[in-house]
Amino acid sequence: MQTLTKADAVTLQGLGKTFSAGGTRVEAVRDLNLVIPTGQIVALLGPNGAGKTTTVDMILGLTPPTSGTARVLGLDPHRAVKSGRVSAVMQTGGLLRDMTVRETITVIASMHRMPERVEAVMQRTGLDAIGKRRVGKCSGGEQQRIKFALALLPDPDVLILDEPTAGMDVRARRDFWQTMRAEATEGRTIIFATHYLEEAQNFAERTVLMAHGQVVADGATEQLRQMISGRKVVATLPTAASIDRALNGAGQVRLEERNGLRTTFRCQDSDAFARLLLTECGAYDLEITAPSLEEAFIHLTQDAS
Amino acid sequence: MNATYIRVEFARHLRDGYNLVFSLLMPSAMYVLFGNIPSYTDQELGFGNVKFYVMVSMAAYGAAVSTVAIAGTVATETMQGWGRQVALTRMPPATFVSSKMIVATTVAAISSALVFALGAATGAQVSENWIWAASYLITIGGSLIFACYGIGVGMVFKSESALGLAGGLMVFFAFFGNVFMPLEDMMLDIARFTPMYGYVALIRYLQLREVAPETGFAPDPLWVPVTNLVLWAVIFAVFAVVATRKARARQ
Repeated sequence: MQTLTKADAVTLQGLGKTFSAGGTRVEAVRDLNLVIPTGQIVALLGPNGAGKTTTVDMILGLTPPTSGTARVLGLDPHRAVKSGRVSAVMQTGGLLRDMTVRETITVIASMHRMPERVEAVMQRTGLDAIGKRRVGKCSGGEQQRIKFALALLPDPDVLILDEPTAGMDVRARRDFWQTMRAEATEGRTIIFATHYLEEAQNFAERTVLMAHGQVVADGATEQLRQMISGRKVVATLPTAASIDRALNGAGQVRLEERNGLRTTFRCQDSDAFARLLLTECGAYDLEITAPSLEEAFIHLTQDAS
Repeated sequence: MNATYIRVEFARHLRDGYNLVFSLLMPSAMYVLFGNIPSYTDQELGFGNVKFYVMVSMAAYGAAVSTVAIAGTVATETMQGWGRQVALTRMPPATFVSSKMIVATTVAAISSALVFALGAATGAQVSENWIWAASYLITIGGSLIFACYGIGVGMVFKSESALGLAGGLMVFFAFFGNVFMPLEDMMLDIARFTPMYGYVALIRYLQLREVAPETGFAPDPLWVPVTNLVLWAVIFAVFAVVATRKARARQ
């Protein structure tokens, strides 16, 4: 027997899931290995279709894996869920429109056999003011908050959030993460799936990048941010020689692509580099863009292979 | 058993005016309309009068329709992700279904109690009082097989409109089950195989069991409605289980 205090929050070994629909087989998750120690705050970052939701479903025991194993706190996912030690905010659905906010929370609390937590949870998530409102009349942000409240009911050790801020406006998103910060205490493990790089940056100490059902990169969020920070600078230069001059004249600049004299550079200090290009190299039609997450993924997947 | 969940379920159904009207008031209204036609409803029939006969028919129809509507929501709610939410609690999935069954049966019980009360108030009679109690109990118990039917249809079609379809088909089953108007000859022969026939015939058997064949109201031998009811109970139960499994597998 493994002692519970020593067990990691989540252990995934060779986890795989294949869906077959109408003769075509889709490998949603492929040979995923991941260990998340207790108390860590981890972002599962990846574009749509990366396999994040499927992974979350397997951690929660909602979907049986095709291969490999998932363990939560050293337990089978079903047992961890039934003991109330892991809970989740799921991406889609999960609420009934004609129930009131308070009814929804009271009912789920009764199913956890923890009716005494209703008031505290409603207060902490700011739902006490809209308790009598029908769920169907709540905004997207409010509905997410209801789902968040439901996840807090069993007072879980491991909290999993699948796209928790989907459908929220900027302000609701900021409020949500503020509440979240208050809950991230006392060794609670938090794992959230997101496709916002910014959310991973602001909130997670560790980021696991997923693409095509696999882990592409895994490390401290700060490290990852540096890897994919940089800016892309595109400019047309008068001659080939001026391209060389630009590359030699600045530190930390990489030539990424050349299409005639239209040149794409990647650099850390884009302001300084742009100044150099415009003043000394005679560049024109200059564009500066921050790399999107998708570009970062392409980058990282290429680097990995 | 989860008392809080059941209480909230009742609150939801009471708020939903449409359900309320169709489950609770329509059977009563139908009894008032068809059970009080002066020309014949006071006539004697078996151990009671025609009013009693119409009363149990309408009560049975109402009970069956309301269990279909309520049990069917198990399916639509599962599809809306509520099933996943419930799956993340300590409550076993079977309790989700059984809680719905309790709510459905209770609404059926209230709906038919209203019809029975109206019947008693307007002169529905049987000579032996136990027939009142026994008819009522069979009405409620038998309506549960239609709960399975509601779950099955909901799981196959996964939508609110499927429940409308399931409810609409109940009208067809009722006409073809000899519930609303007496069928004859070949129609009656076919009716013996339809799902509502056994349920209603069994309830009526209590009142009609000694009626002479020449009157045209003589019941089938007891084994006919019993066999019909048991077979359809099995068919609908299997249908509900298979449909649920298929729906889960596709999720």
